[in-house]
Amino acid sequence: MAHAGLKTVILLSFVLAVGFLMIILSCALWSNWLPLLVALIFVLAPLPNALFAHCGGDDLTADYEGSGPVDLGRFLTSFVVVTGFALPLVLAHSEIIRPGACAMSIIGGSLVYGTILAYSAAFRQEESDFD
Amino acid sequence: MSLPRSNYDPRRVCLSPFPNWTLGKHKRTMGIYLAGGLFALANWTFLDAAILSAHAHSPYGEPQVPPPVHVSFVDWVPGISSLLGMLVVNLIDKDRVRGDEGFGDARAVWRARLILFIGFALMAGGLAGSVVVLVLKYVLQDYPEQYQYYGYANVSQNVALMLSSVVLWMSQSVSSEYEYNLSI
Repeated sequence: MAHAGLKTVILLSFVLAVGFLMIILSCALWSNWLPLLVALIFVLAPLPNALFAHCGGDDLTADYEGSGPVDLGRFLTSFVVVTGFALPLVLAHSEIIRPGACAMSIIGGSLVYGTILAYSAAFRQEESDFD
Repeated sequence: MSLPRSNYDPRRVCLSPFPNWTLGKHKRTMGIYLAGGLFALANWTFLDAAILSAHAHSPYGEPQVPPPVHVSFVDWVPGISSLLGMLVVNLIDKDRVRGDEGFGDARAVWRARLILFIGFALMAGGLAGSVVVLVLKYVLQDYPEQYQYYGYANVSQNVALMLSSVVLWMSQSVSSEYEYNLSI
């Protein structure tokens, strides 16, 4: 995976930039900066999982699932992700932002979150190659 | 007079049969993600109604008439009750409720069951309260459909909170057998 790593990183950073571009455009085109919250939410989305992942037990029982903190982290992660999708929809429903801004911020946010997911998956693969 | 059998106590009204499914651990993970998603969906459904009410338009076709009804504190009460109930139900140690032999004393089991009952009562009360709010505040007043949405959003919030709690409970008690096998 070492030679393909550079291309992956370049592709992912490109996708991340496109995602942020979409979100910032959805704010700037209608000069209403509320959709910027979507970027913040999606960037914060993997944080609970990352924080609580190490509470799951020691090295002997690495894949032992069933501790409370790990479950809490997963619960909070999916809560934040669904919040990121729901916030622009709610704002568009109340006609605070335009439907175009809603669609663009949702697409941008899912690009950003997909980038984060793909990045962590790629890193995990490389680590397991090392082991 | 014979003593009741140890695995069946006729004095108990509410048996809490824990389904001992041994599904894969991925089912558990998926269940918890699903519960979190349902939880967010529930709260955003209601917040959508609240935000919509705060930015409410007058009824369609009559621009002069102010909106006849708003989401007030009464609409928030069922959701808060459901949230408290969900918190209580999911904070209980499930081994205590099951009351296995050698798990603490009997009084602790009794108290855990009482608190579990209070949690379920809070959730059911939230659901019933949301239906009451829908009927008394919105349906019986013959508001236009634009405003009855607030009541329906409230009911769906509470239904989704209850579903989320059920999914969380089931997915957390799924792999208990698996845990036992590992920890012993």
